[in-house]
Parts: sequence; structure tokens; C-alpha cells
Amino acid sequence: MLKLSDRVQATAASSDARPTFDIRGLTVEFPAITGVPTVAIRNLDLRIERGEIFGLVGESGAGKTTLARSLLRLPPEPGRIAGGELLFEGQDIMSLTEVELQRTRGRDISMIVPNPRSELNPLLTVGEQIANVAQVHLRVSRREARGLALDILRAVQIPDPERRMTAFPHEMSGGMAQRIVIAIALICSPKFIVSDDATSGLDVTVQAQILELLRRLAQDRGSAMLFITRDIGITAHFCDRVAVIYNGEIMELAGREDFFFRPAHPYTIMLMAAFSYNQSLRRLWARPEPLPGAKVHDSACPYTLRCPLAQERCRIDRPALREIAPGHYASCHFPVRR
Amino acid sequence: MTRIISFLGQRLLFIVPQLFGILLVSFFLIKSIPGDPAVLMLGPMASTDAVVSLRTKLGLDHALPIQFWHFLVNLVHGDLGTSWQTTRPVLEDLLQRFPATLELVTLGLLGAIIIGVPLGVASAFDEKGILGRVAGVYGLTAGSLPDFWLALVLIFVFYTILQIVPAPLGRLDFAILPPPTISGFLIFDSIAAGDWAALGSALTHLCLPVLTLSLINAGPILKMTQSTMDRMLQSDFSRYEVLSGLPHRMVVRHALRNSLPSIVTIISVLYGYLLGGAVLVEIVFSWGGAGQYAVQGVLNSDIYPVLGFVLFSAIFSLIVYLIVDIVYVAIDPRIGR
Repeated sequence: MLKLSDRVQATAASSDARPTFDIRGLTVEFPAITGVPTVAIRNLDLRIERGEIFGLVGESGAGKTTLARSLLRLPPEPGRIAGGELLFEGQDIMSLTEVELQRTRGRDISMIVPNPRSELNPLLTVGEQIANVAQVHLRVSRREARGLALDILRAVQIPDPERRMTAFPHEMSGGMAQRIVIAIALICSPKFIVSDDATSGLDVTVQAQILELLRRLAQDRGSAMLFITRDIGITAHFCDRVAVIYNGEIMELAGREDFFFRPAHPYTIMLMAAFSYNQSLRRLWARPEPLPGAKVHDSACPYTLRCPLAQERCRIDRPALREIAPGHYASCHFPVRR
Repeated sequence: MTRIISFLGQRLLFIVPQLFGILLVSFFLIKSIPGDPAVLMLGPMASTDAVVSLRTKLGLDHALPIQFWHFLVNLVHGDLGTSWQTTRPVLEDLLQRFPATLELVTLGLLGAIIIGVPLGVASAFDEKGILGRVAGVYGLTAGSLPDFWLALVLIFVFYTILQIVPAPLGRLDFAILPPPTISGFLIFDSIAAGDWAALGSALTHLCLPVLTLSLINAGPILKMTQSTMDRMLQSDFSRYEVLSGLPHRMVVRHALRNSLPSIVTIISVLYGYLLGGAVLVEIVFSWGGAGQYAVQGVLNSDIYPVLGFVLFSAIFSLIVYLIVDIVYVAIDPRIGR
């Protein structure tokens, strides 16, 4: 049987222009008691180009984790991928068998999870957990796997790596555990890394160190990365392109410069204003939260209730993501232009 | 290692006060059962004088705390009192009967583990598959069947109809002499004596009661294994292992390891409980075990056998719990450091 990676390599040579990961029309639903499922990700398109770091910003509940895990075909329970294609190097993840999928996860596409101390197995040493992944995916002996684990612990700059090999997750600090999870994500030099809010639990100083480390290691290995975060500030330093996700849909997508100097979507501007010290700017772009029960109609723009620029058209015509300037996309009828 | 030893030392310190508490409570509870042993011993025709003198002889005329004190003093000297039914020292009776129960219960529990744990794992592995359904139905059935009824059914099938096991009367055939007592466990003693006839007879007699206990007690073990495994497989670390592309088998193996503390707990609870809880099975098979002995004692106001049984069970349970604690420490690096 032809292994997935061989197949991927065979086709990769033909066109280098192809993105590393191409999400086409992804829809993820959560079944509800009412019978009408809740749509967490709605018809989402996203391309992550080779070697780029793509930032995806969203508030909690926007669908960040659902998206991240869906890319590995493992949406959070009881969610289910209702449609779309997930093209990884041209191969649709949705069409893989369980075995192929298992070989792809952790080896070709890996994931960095938040709260690593609860994600690591409490009863196994971190050395074992890193070595397990290496042994399974790289088909090396236990000894070699341990050697690789030690190497990667050095690469993620864990102090005293020999001793850390035999440590248990509960004996580590949050930053240390985060490095372990990064080590596990990188040990097979994957082509694509999904980072889901990876630095959310860390001090700002530790966060900066880890981000720098992550960027360097990803660059060294030529890995592309989808960097999902709730902190718009991080993406300004860290990412090549940035998109904003709201309610399971992309609101705006642009190169970093465009995104931060010429934001077009009222939601993006609101997020940026929230980080600024300018009171009047914040007042101008934020409207009070709508009442909890208030729901917008499916044919309205999902941001209507919070948008200071909302007009009649926004309530009856759902805007699609469209290109408003070269490489700059926004899903808004009235994008802010200067 | 020092971790385990210091842990053991701490636990052993508490055993004496624990035993004292257990004896105190059970002494007064058993004493509060109505019925005068002196009247029961002498029968309905005895004269009042005879009853009074016997009460004095037995020390029953003292106040309860003083009787308890006497009991404790005798206990320290290795005297557990005398059973008026068997007219033998309780210690002797129990040393003979306790191993009988222990042998039965231990094998029964082993069988229950062998049935329950793999079925529980298999059903968590594949909940909607055939094994999962079988395990679901079995867990429900085993929990609702009375053990003595199952024992009678097994006797009917395997003894009455198929005639492949001996009559349910005790631990050995009448024609076979028991091997010299070393431990009281017939399997062990007959092997030690090289007495293969006795071993064979003991094993065939153990078959049905052990099978009964196994089938009934596999239920709770199965349920516990299944639910804990389910929880572990849903947990963050299992999902992370799946996300990391580890094979399903490895994920399940790790989940089982993380489930072991709960499984060990239910097994230890069952073990302690079965010492007395197997009494109905003992009665059906005329086992002559400790549970039967204690029940006879309760029914006839024969207090010392009951207290002796309580003491033996308590010590045994405490030992089991101690072992369980050591197992926890060995399994989980977060405990005891």
C-alpha cells in the first residue's frame, strides 16, 4: 500500500505553488435537542500557504478550537463535520481511512494544545510521552526514540533535559509543560502545525520566549503554521497573514501590514480598539453586548447586533467574504476604507 | 522505596485504634440483640437458679463496659472466648473456618476479575459493538440475580442433570481424608502434602461456588471498569493522544492504566464485603466457612464467634486496604510524594 506521505510527496513535486493546507467550505455542526443543529463553523474557506505563519484571531466561542480540531478530523464532542474539503498538500483529509488519518496526525500535521498540564497523561513521564510519538510515527527503536526526545527537549530549551525526561507533568510549571507539548508537536518535523491558543495560560515574558522559539523551530523545519489565538496583539509580531473569525465565519483576512494599518471590518476595528488606551475610540466602535437571547436571522450579517455601522441591508442580506483590495478580504457590505 | 516504607509505617500506626473502634461498636451492637444466652443454652425447662448461676459463670451479670473490658483482656492473651454451640474456643474454630471462606472468596473474586475487567475494557473500546452490548446486558443481569439462586441453578445443571461435579456438600468428598493442616487452604495444603486425590476433590468442590461468586461479582467490576474507561477515553489526555496520532491500542492501554485505581478500589471493597457476603453461597454448598459460623452465632446469641468473625474480617479488610494504598502509590506518581 502506498503510504500517504509517499503519495503526498509524489504529487508535491508537480506544483510547489499549492498551499500546504486548503480548507474549502468547511462546516461543523453541533447537534441540539431542538433538532436544528448549532453551526459552529459555517462554510469556511482558508488557505495556508507553504511556510507561512497564519494568525487566526477570535473571541471565546468564535469556533477557534472547533476549527483547530476539525482540521485533524477530530472536532470537540459531539460536533461533527457536516461538509467541506480539507486539502492537505492536495490530499483530502476527509477521504482518509482511520489508519491513514492516525499516521497523518502528529507526523504530518501536529497540534499544540492549550492547558498542556491537563492534556498530558498524568501517569507517564514526559520523556515517555514524547518518545511514544517518535516511536510510533518515525518507526524507530525505543532507544532511538528516547534519544530523539532528548534532542527535542534541548531544542525547546528545557533546562536540564536529562532530568526532565523522567519528570511527570504535575511536576512541571505551565511554561515548561507548554514546551513539552511544543516538543511533541515538532518531533516529527510536521509540514503543518496547528497551534490552538497555545500561549494563553502563560506569563507575558514566558509567552514571548515561547513564541520566538516556536517561530524559529517552525522556520527551521519549513513547517507552515495556523496560529489560533484570542490575543490580537500576538499576531502583529508573529504572523505573516492574519484573519479574524467571528461566530464560525471569517470576517476579515489580510496580510499583516494591511490588516493592522488598514483594517476594514468594524469587528476587527472593535477588537483593536479594545486593546487601545483611547477611550473614545473604544466607545465609538463597541456597542453594548446584545441581550443573551437575541439572535440574528440566518440571512443577516452575524455581527449586526454589535456593529455600530449596521444598516438595513445588513439585517436582510448576509455579506460574503470578498476581496476589497488585492489580498485583503472582508465580509462586510460597508467596509471601512480610507 | 523509602516513600513506601514511611507510608506503611504511618498506616500501621492507625491499625490498633481502628481495630479498637470496630470492636467497641460491634460489641455493643451485638449485645443489644435481644435473647439471653444462658436461657438459650439451658433450654426452656431450666430453673431460675440454674440460669442465674450460669449467667454469673459467663460473666453476664457484670455491666456491659466491664464485660467489654474482660473481653479485651482475654483478647490480648489470645483468647477470643468460647462458642457455646460448638463448645470449642472461637480462635480454633475460626482458624479452621476462615481459610475455607478465604479460599472460596479469593478464587471467586479472581474469576470475577478475569470476567469483568476484559469485558469492561472491550465494551469501552467498542461501545456499540457486539461485545459492548453483551457487556451491557451482562452487567445488568449480574447486578439483579441473587447469588444463592444462581448457585441452585448451577447445582441443578451441573450436578443433577450433567453429573460432572460432586454433590454440594462441603469442601471434600467424604471418602477423602483432608491433608494435614498447614494454612487451612485445601489447595495449598494438598499440594504441600503431595496429596493429589485431595487436590482434585478440593478443586471439583470449589468449581460451582467459585463460578457462582465469579459470575455475580463480575457485574460491579465490569460496570466500574466500563465507566472509568469511558471517562478516561473522553478525557483531555486521551484525546490529545489521539490528536498526536498514537494508535488506538496504545490509547486504550494508557486509559486502562489510568483507570486502575478505581478498578482496584472496587475489587478491594468487594473482597472485604464477600467474607460475610458469601454466606448464602456457603450455606447452599454446606461450605462450613466463617460466614456461616458468624450467622449461626447471631441467630443463637452466641456472641464470641460473632465478635471473632468481626475481628478477623476487620483485620483482613485493613490488610487489603493497606495493599490497595500501596498499589495506588505504585500506580500514581502524584500520591505520597
